Amino acid sequence: MIELDAGTHEMLEEVRALGREHIRPMGLEADRTALPPPVDHPFYLLCTRQRGLISKMIGADEGPSALDWKPMRNFVLGEETAYWDRGVALSLPGPGLGGAALRSTATAEQRQHFLAIFNDRSTARWGAMAMTEPGAGSDVARIQTRARKDGDGWLLNGQKMFCSNSARADWVVVWATVDPALGRAGHRAFVVERGTPGFEILKIEHKMGSRGYETASFALDDVRLPAENLLGGEAFYESRRGFKASMATFNMTRPLHTAHGVGMGRAAHDFALDFVRSDYPAQGQRRQRALERLARIRRGLHTARLMYLHAVWLAKNDHPNALEASYAKLYSPPIVLDAVVAALDILGEAGVRNDKMLEKLYRDVKILDIGEGTQQVQRVVVARQLFDFPRDA
Amino acid sequence: MRDFALAPEFVELQAAAERLGRVELAPHVRDAERAGRWSDAVLAVLDGLPLGDLDLPERLGGVEAGSLAKVVTLETLAMADAGGLLGADRLGLSVGALLACPGASLVGEVLASVRDGSAQSSLTVVDIEQEASGIEWAPGWPALRWIWVSKGDELRLHEVTGATRPTDALAFHASGGVSVSFAQTRRRGTWTLSPHESLGVRGRARLWAAAVAVGIAQAALTDTIAYTTDRIVFGKPVAHHQGNAFDLAAAAARLHGARLVVRDAAAGFDRDEPNAGFWATQAWLETMEAAFTLTNLGIQLLGGHGFIVDHLAEKRFREARMLAMLAGGRDAAELDVAAYVLDVPDPFVDSARGR
Repeated sequence: MIELDAGTHEMLEEVRALGREHIRPMGLEADRTALPPPVDHPFYLLCTRQRGLISKMIGADEGPSALDWKPMRNFVLGEETAYWDRGVALSLPGPGLGGAALRSTATAEQRQHFLAIFNDRSTARWGAMAMTEPGAGSDVARIQTRARKDGDGWLLNGQKMFCSNSARADWVVVWATVDPALGRAGHRAFVVERGTPGFEILKIEHKMGSRGYETASFALDDVRLPAENLLGGEAFYESRRGFKASMATFNMTRPLHTAHGVGMGRAAHDFALDFVRSDYPAQGQRRQRALERLARIRRGLHTARLMYLHAVWLAKNDHPNALEASYAKLYSPPIVLDAVVAALDILGEAGVRNDKMLEKLYRDVKILDIGEGTQQVQRVVVARQLFDFPRDA
Repeated sequence: MRDFALAPEFVELQAAAERLGRVELAPHVRDAERAGRWSDAVLAVLDGLPLGDLDLPERLGGVEAGSLAKVVTLETLAMADAGGLLGADRLGLSVGALLACPGASLVGEVLASVRDGSAQSSLTVVDIEQEASGIEWAPGWPALRWIWVSKGDELRLHEVTGATRPTDALAFHASGGVSVSFAQTRRRGTWTLSPHESLGVRGRARLWAAAVAVGIAQAALTDTIAYTTDRIVFGKPVAHHQGNAFDLAAAAARLHGARLVVRDAAAGFDRDEPNAGFWATQAWLETMEAAFTLTNLGIQLLGGHGFIVDHLAEKRFREARMLAMLAGGRDAAELDVAAYVLDVPDPFVDSARGR
């Protein structure tokens, strides 16, 4: 039912060339050194300066008009960038997840204001979004970062963790609560700009894999913000629109996670396929076993791809997609891990060597089953939608 | 970029199949099993759709609605009752053979007898390294007359000239059931197809079974949720115990994925994609796993009730397994996809070019 148009194929070719030349080498280097690429990496500047594909994908091109939404194409391109290295793909300059929050929550003036920095092509710039806290990960309703009215503005206190690119971002969209007892109804989204007094990066995490992007923790200690930094303005949060906005963001990030997983699974598949072609006997039981494994990998990835595209298609057409987004997120991480494991099996002992990349993928993909809601959370979400699984079960 | 929307005429077809299922099939499931066939009233409606001609091209007298229309209809009918579908769709598993067969006059002969309601046409997949002595099970009504044999790249057509044996089977009792030795048949033709044509023959048969399995699994999910949210154990509904809820959620996700790949494979046939048979076989493999998982869970969560014939859970459990054994079964399907996996490009990204 889904096939790509010629324009998307051309863009895929472009991503592929960039992936081969820049993204994968950067990912391997980041993995070796356990450090994400530095902010002044030439590729980031290239992305920022060229008015090319990557700039459009990351929303750094054409300012606010980059919010023009072509999600299915973008997700296919996202799959392809993750094929080369998901960590580096997540580290690319641009508004990132903060852009998604702006799209779903901000006023037109706020979008104009906060995205304007991406028109500056002299340097790479980042945006970020922070939801997770030390005591609230999958259950976002439990966030404790407090927002209190302070004259015309706001005062923020709390701590955020596992926030991608926040240590290098010009601004971070921070989700806080005006009253933890209100649960999701109390959620508000604020833009905290770098340099704001009280905003302090605490730690950049050292991770098992996916080292191409930084994952940071930060503290908010009496951070004072003007009223204009409350995304959407106060009226927006009446009648649960604020929570719905944050959930709408997640309903797109879960399929994006799946798209990334399909790309990573494809990378493992292709690596194993090359190995079969070059190192396996031309026939026999061992080859047959490998071919059956490759076919199984293809099947799972094909299914996962259709699931993420379907979830995005629903959103694009203004249909509810929470269930389908969770279906995709629930289904895909084990499939991708299985793909990498099967690829490792095909390589046998050669697979353990870290110059073969597969062992890196094995470490990289595990985060897919954790970020944006673990598989267990997705099962809860699906069960709630299908048969009113109670919140206190 | 194409999308996932069903064309309005497909939605109408789906609605008609849903009505037929709800009014005529679902209330009489066990009666049809005992009778060994669906009622004449049901068959008249299905011939009016017309079910058998949906995916046949106009050159063969079909309505050329396509494979997607067919799988959507099959899914919907199977949600109400799959038991008589193999008998009612008299081309059923053999439609791919008919489409690929170069013998135009024989195709015409088969179609004429199937359309007038006097003959059943079926297909069996034979291991390339082994000769089969006959067909182990085929629908029993109308009389089995045509047996297509897919063996590697060879396609054969046998006409039954002798006696068939009534054969009870694991499931699909409302389709009757016969077996026949090839000694009781006359070989009417043998052709060598291209590898892709051959896989297309088997892929269309598998797609038929996969579509039916999606419907069976959907019905299993719906009924299991209804039962497990109603029945209380240890103070709360069965489904509200986390272990059960998680299993149901995961099985529902698998079913969703299976439905998508089945429809995608059908659309591949409708676009004449050369590798449609490969993707249909992949869809069959995915769907058979999903359907087994769901129908097994359907019994498990009903406990003892799942094991008795008062509920349909046991029937769906049998049907899902039987669909996984027809047209060569799982081994033949896995051998097929393994044989082609190095040559079939990714439909979005030709990985071989990209690396």
